[in-house]
Amino acid sequence: MDKKKMDWGYFGSLALSILLALGVGGVIMAAAGYHPIKAYGALLQGATGCESIGEFLTAAFTKRQFGNTLEYTMVLCMTGLACALGARVGIFNVGGEGQLYLGAIVSAYIGVLLAGCAWWIAIPVAALGAMVAGGLYAWVPGVLKVKCKVNEVITTIMLNSIAIYFCTFLSTGPWKTSQGNRVSGTETLVPDLQFTRLINGSSLTTAVFAAAVIAFLVWYVMSKTATGYEMKLTGQNRRFAFFSGLKVDTITIGAMTISGAMCGLVGMFEVYGVKGSYQDGISKEFYFDGLLVAMIMRYNPVGIIFMSLLFAALRIGASGMELNAGVPGEVYRIIQSVIIFFMAAESGISASVKAKRAEKRARREANARLEGKANG
Amino acid sequence: MGNIFTTGLFQHMFRSATPVGLAAMGGLMTEHAGIMNIGMDGMILMGAFTSVAVSWLFGSAWLGLLAALLVGVLVGMFFALFVVKFKSDEFIIGTALNILAGGLTVFLLRSIFEVKGSFRGTPEQPVVGLPKVELGVLAKIPIVGPILDGSSVFLILTWGLVAIMWFFVYRTPYGFWIRAAGERPATLRTAGISPEKMKWISSALSGAFCGVAGAQLALGDVTMFSEGMSNSRGYVAFACVIFGAANPGKAYLAALMFGFFDALGYRLQEYANSNLTAMIPYAITVIMMVYVVVRSQRRRAKMGRIAG
Repeated sequence: MDKKKMDWGYFGSLALSILLALGVGGVIMAAAGYHPIKAYGALLQGATGCESIGEFLTAAFTKRQFGNTLEYTMVLCMTGLACALGARVGIFNVGGEGQLYLGAIVSAYIGVLLAGCAWWIAIPVAALGAMVAGGLYAWVPGVLKVKCKVNEVITTIMLNSIAIYFCTFLSTGPWKTSQGNRVSGTETLVPDLQFTRLINGSSLTTAVFAAAVIAFLVWYVMSKTATGYEMKLTGQNRRFAFFSGLKVDTITIGAMTISGAMCGLVGMFEVYGVKGSYQDGISKEFYFDGLLVAMIMRYNPVGIIFMSLLFAALRIGASGMELNAGVPGEVYRIIQSVIIFFMAAESGISASVKAKRAEKRARREANARLEGKANG
Repeated sequence: MGNIFTTGLFQHMFRSATPVGLAAMGGLMTEHAGIMNIGMDGMILMGAFTSVAVSWLFGSAWLGLLAALLVGVLVGMFFALFVVKFKSDEFIIGTALNILAGGLTVFLLRSIFEVKGSFRGTPEQPVVGLPKVELGVLAKIPIVGPILDGSSVFLILTWGLVAIMWFFVYRTPYGFWIRAAGERPATLRTAGISPEKMKWISSALSGAFCGVAGAQLALGDVTMFSEGMSNSRGYVAFACVIFGAANPGKAYLAALMFGFFDALGYRLQEYANSNLTAMIPYAITVIMMVYVVVRSQRRRAKMGRIAG
């Protein structure tokens, strides 16, 4: 979609916004007494694990840091697409964080229960469990929005807090591991069930292939099928879609549910790939990062996939920067949100310039016509 | 259960309702002006940080409060710049504002104070809190005395602010114009008043109240700033505005209700897991939202039937 919107002008303003945001980040770091160029160097090194371009080209795929960046790209891609699915039909799923937590803990518990089973039984069951948990948790605000017109932003935010407290309750209470002296978390999964790591020591696991398939499917459905077109129609003009005979309610709730299921699956990937068990704080606002990616790319699936890489490099690099240059890693959040402000400002300013130009032209034409009449 | 419904419960209720109620006063300004202000949470967070930083620097809680108010106004204007001037999506800008606030406060906390998690000041220079109510002899008045005595002065100031806000919204021309800017912007323009200007004013006021709410949160009962300490209170305040139909009195009552369930949840920890009880106020907020929306729809449907 949005072939017209995604034109060169858009890419130009995007590139400019990113550069300006990096500049703002640099100024803030300089003001706080850090050396911005050194900090950004540390950021690049933190994201790739390489010290030079040559090293990056030859050895990037052996580096732990680069593996982590790719893994986080996968997370952002999934959460960003989940957000886009909802936004496309006009519903904003801000509750991905809660859906992710529920997916994580449900899949972790299924893994504990099915510890004796073959992996090809346990893993699909766990994935299904995660998707059902996340999906149902998104279905509720979806139904509330469609049937009762309750603002979904508030309900999903509240449901985030509820889910996180509930998961903490489970992980410190009924589903707590008996291993060691751990205060919280589920039992560690048997090695058979954990995903294989693609780069030693990094978080990148075989889950990335599953995510790639899902990303492809989402892109395909959204931009190449009739369903995708119906979704777009529903999001752009609900009344028109309704009177064209589309089941707008079903489409909206369905998109929201699938969005939640994807978030739940991300939770499962974290458990089976990265942590090996459910632990408190398993997601550090992963969904909100994905949400920003989706917003910046105006919910365009292809754009989200590419922008995820940049944002993942920013976040993973920022933790390396904190470690090596001592700069608080939170600067990446500032940069991310500032990109949005710059893009909004750019489109606002260009729209007002266009409006002024149109007004001037109209005035000129009207004057010309009046003069013409006066002369004739 | 006798030890649950004590004066302590009501003290806790007012304590946790005060920042939410203050933010709701701001939220109803933007609500009346027809702006969906999702960014309140970030405004509260920035207010809280500013108040603690200034209070620590100058040793004065009132200066901290003033600074939080000013920062709130600035953030509110920043929000209006995008939402009113550039006509950007309110949801996107609000969300970005919240994320910026989260990142900026943590960054500043770590780079200025060099601490992680929370900042209570340094041993030789502690963060000064806002004064507490001291009733003296009056504290002996049953029920009211023990609830008010020792609580933050903003508990009482908030009541005054609620009354002032009610007067402002419903009895002054500015309140009337702000409401018109949301409901009938074209009519307001015909009357010679710019709806955009009213939206700017309402955003700035909204930021001011959120800043003060942040200051109350950080300096009112505790004297510290901790990462993400707004803890979704901005969204709860938004829900209170909806629940109270943007009426200051009703919105404050909604905040009291949130405070009540927050306090109740805290007290029920004796009987149930603290993580489960912590869910209560948030669950109540969701239920509140659903209830009020469904009720207003029913009412509208009924009116439609009468009219038709």
